[in-house]
Amino acid sequence: MATLEELQARITRLEDIKQIKKLQHIYGYYQDYGQWQKIVDLFSDNGPSVEEADLGVYKGKEGIKRYFIDLLGGGPNKPRRPGILSIMFQLQGVVTVDPSGKTAQGRWYGMGMEAKPTVSLHEGELRQTWIHGVYENDYIKEDGKWKFKKLYFNLTFRTPFEDGWLKVPVVGQHGPSAEVPPDAPPTAYLPYPLGYHVPFSFKHPISGK
Amino acid sequence: MNLEELEREVTRLEDIQEIEDLQQKYGYYMDTGYRQEIVELFSENTESVEIESTGLFLGKEGATRWYLVDDLLPEGMTTVPSWIAVRILMSQDAITIDPSGTTAKGRWNTWLAEAMTVGGVPRQQWVQGYYENEYIKENGRWYFKKLHWNVTFFTSFEAGWLRIPLLGLLNRKDMDAPSPHFHPYPSGYQLPYSFKHPVTGK
Repeated sequence: MATLEELQARITRLEDIKQIKKLQHIYGYYQDYGQWQKIVDLFSDNGPSVEEADLGVYKGKEGIKRYFIDLLGGGPNKPRRPGILSIMFQLQGVVTVDPSGKTAQGRWYGMGMEAKPTVSLHEGELRQTWIHGVYENDYIKEDGKWKFKKLYFNLTFRTPFEDGWLKVPVVGQHGPSAEVPPDAPPTAYLPYPLGYHVPFSFKHPISGK
Repeated sequence: MNLEELEREVTRLEDIQEIEDLQQKYGYYMDTGYRQEIVELFSENTESVEIESTGLFLGKEGATRWYLVDDLLPEGMTTVPSWIAVRILMSQDAITIDPSGTTAKGRWNTWLAEAMTVGGVPRQQWVQGYYENEYIKENGRWYFKKLHWNVTFFTSFEAGWLRIPLLGLLNRKDMDAPSPHFHPYPSGYQLPYSFKHPVTGK
């Protein structure tokens, strides 16, 4: 029979998985509404990073602020342009907690519907699109709370509602911003139909590989 | 609650978590073509695999046959071109662990974005369906015992389910029997639930 300490450790691991999934789900709700400061506050202060699609890598808490507030938000407290829609389902989370219980990794699918300008992030005609991609994120537990250490979204497709991924795999991706440049170029921007597969953070449940 | 009862409770929660991971990892392996890794997720005591209209595949041998023959491979080609792709989005799991703690059942909802050849023509599709799967715990690990994915519609991106519920049939000559539960929209078929009503218990 298990000891009380062993059971406590097992319960803690289950709670950690639940909390990390909730963190990711809540991130999704904030991103749907463009609540960038709230998202910035989900990140660790200790060397976090964010990279999405072809926009490059933003490093450090300063980089996180520049990415979400200056780049995606268009500046501090800037009201969202009417008509913008960004709904991203956070699906299929597989979370692996490190034996230390202090770090974790999670793979997710992001699938959504958007209405955004495709000429630039903030101007131009709104297009309605379907979007899909893979998250492979790192999490860290600090002061008893799970936070993002790394948010990484690898885009599969971002296609006009009218066309579909087979005809138009990607619209509206024009590489890193010149106005709010990243700290490093994109690491693996290889959308459909290139066949790129983001490496798994999880192990095979039977073979352990 | 004594320590023994508490451990039973914790084990049940761990079992649900492990089955959830098993199912979702299966999905990521499917989408990336890790077919051998998928075969390893099936118990030696596997009952069957039934997917869409491909037929019923019996036993571990049948499951191995289903997964190691790549049904996405276009005729006359030796490798699957990278534009042919499937994304199975799994959600809404309802997992029931048997009181014995050695078997379990799970229902899932799925939404798929696909691109493949249908009738020799490149097509893009929206697909919806449900899993009703059975799992078995052997040597402390959960495996698939029975995998059943029941399609509701398989429509072209352009047309939609009302106009074209079924873009094509995915028949497999190497099946053991025709699919017993293949009744796509608009038949009105309702795939039976593995779970009990949470309030009435029925």
